[in-house]
Amino acid sequence: MVRSHTLRTQKGLVNDPMPPDMIWRIDDFLIDPSRPLYEQFVEQIRAMIAKGKLAPGTRLPSVRETASSLRVNPTTIMKTYQELERLSLLVTYRGQGTFVTNEQSAITRSRRELARSAVARLEELAQSIGLTLAQFIALAKEED
Amino acid sequence: MMVDRTITIQCTGVEMTFKKKQALRNVTFSTNSGSIVGLLGPNGAGKSTLMRILTGILEPTGGLVEVLGRKPDVETLAQLSFLPDRGQLPNWLTADQWLGYASGIYPDWDITLEREWVRKLEVDRSMSIGTMSRGQEARLQLLTCLSRRTKLVILDEPFTGVDLLSRERISSAIAEETAGGDRTFLIATHDIREMESMFDRIILIGDGTIKGVYDTEALRDEGHSVESCYREVFA
Repeated sequence: MVRSHTLRTQKGLVNDPMPPDMIWRIDDFLIDPSRPLYEQFVEQIRAMIAKGKLAPGTRLPSVRETASSLRVNPTTIMKTYQELERLSLLVTYRGQGTFVTNEQSAITRSRRELARSAVARLEELAQSIGLTLAQFIALAKEED
Repeated sequence: MMVDRTITIQCTGVEMTFKKKQALRNVTFSTNSGSIVGLLGPNGAGKSTLMRILTGILEPTGGLVEVLGRKPDVETLAQLSFLPDRGQLPNWLTADQWLGYASGIYPDWDITLEREWVRKLEVDRSMSIGTMSRGQEARLQLLTCLSRRTKLVILDEPFTGVDLLSRERISSAIAEETAGGDRTFLIATHDIREMESMFDRIILIGDGTIKGVYDTEALRDEGHSVESCYREVFA
């Protein structure tokens, strides 16, 4: 879903925010309780944006709504949104809310970074059995 | 969301002795506003005693306690909400009558908050308190705490005997209320697994002494969960 949103500043609209396009559900995330929670939310939302599961322009629920629906500390959610904003994947318009970016370049960059980190993990695994990445892939494709 | 990090509770070397039994020994910790703090420990660890000291109901036999910037007394009790362990609401009233009564006795009662939480916690106003289940009554008690504009909310075992869906509604309400940034929740609970992603800080208490105070994200950064930390300390 692609939506354009202009910044509306008239009084009334600012205090009367639009409903979000979706609500986070607990099953949207797979959380390991022994790793920093905000890192995991950042990773998983980032992956949703990269995969297009969260379309550009989607209006996200507020920190308050998210903390409530996920039953997570609001500071964690605030840090998550801030980090995703720093990565240019989310944009916040005052009085309007937080949206998935419409900037294709930011999304592409994020997809590339996801691919790079996956390849780096694979490369590490290949090295652990004494192969290069190319040999590793060839080995996986070999027939029995 | 504005985050104001003023200290809401400061305990330094708190001691409590009942006759010959020492219930609390050298208890030191602090909490910041806008945070959810878990007070965790086995039964009989001193959690309820500590909460009663914080509300000003009990006076400690030693040490310093500051709540909302002053020694706890009747004044501070008026500025915080407390959900006591085994607290009972008047069972001859309906929820509606109770809320009417509560709104009259608490000067900081906020009718807008009351309406919002009645809806979100799904409290049936016409129901008589005497016929409520444990979960329904717990939701009404929490609603009574949340409908006041208090900076500190102290909940002693808000989940005991409460069904899953009611527990979820209560946790959601607590998370939502903390998002404003100026409320502090101090919660004694045994439901660690369910609550662990809610806490900013945990205070582990056993045999009347503090076994550890941890910021939860720092714990996780070192590969520990709240639950594993609890097990390490108490097992």
